Amino acid sequence: MVAVPVVLLESEQFLSELTRLFPKCRASGRVFITLKKCDGRTRSIPKKGSVEGCEPADNKCLLIATDGKKKVSTVVSSKEANKFQMAYSSLLRAKMDGLKKRDKKNKSKKAKTPQ
Amino acid sequence: MPQYQTWEEFSRAAEKLYLADPMRARVVLKYRHVNGNLCIKVTDDLVCLVYRTDQAQDVKKIEKFHSQLMRLMVAKESRNVTMETD
Repeated sequence: MVAVPVVLLESEQFLSELTRLFPKCRASGRVFITLKKCDGRTRSIPKKGSVEGCEPADNKCLLIATDGKKKVSTVVSSKEANKFQMAYSSLLRAKMDGLKKRDKKNKSKKAKTPQ
Repeated sequence: MPQYQTWEEFSRAAEKLYLADPMRARVVLKYRHVNGNLCIKVTDDLVCLVYRTDQAQDVKKIEKFHSQLMRLMVAKESRNVTMETD
């Protein structure tokens, strides 16, 4: 596997990078998202870049997103988790829309396709 | 690499795997728009659980599960604190 330098970002930056990753991969390729609990000594993070690893804490998690070429990551702590999670969830739901819909009958009333 | 056919089985096994060793376990999400499929994998480097889908209705479940695990990962300390205080 080619060693892609990992860039550690702020959670907001990470979200905007992730938002850009999805459309890039729409025509081809795939998006990989990894979620891992953070303890301060994660060897999987390469030493390149501004990555010092996480501070020794129990309440952080590491998120990595890549399209195979570019890799971005962020560390989420319990403080940011709520805010980050809401944005992250809606991002995933909005972007991962290429899957087959089972029924035409959707339970959600919001889903109205504008003609 | 056991692949699960039902979401319920997968989520139960995956959560168990994570809780068994939170530090080792990691969750990987693979989305392929071209093929229109999504794959979620939970592994602790010994065991690897996979669930693949091409159904839109599973996206929500997978994303919710993902967020749940994220919350577990960051909440550990605060959880312990609340549990310890009498």
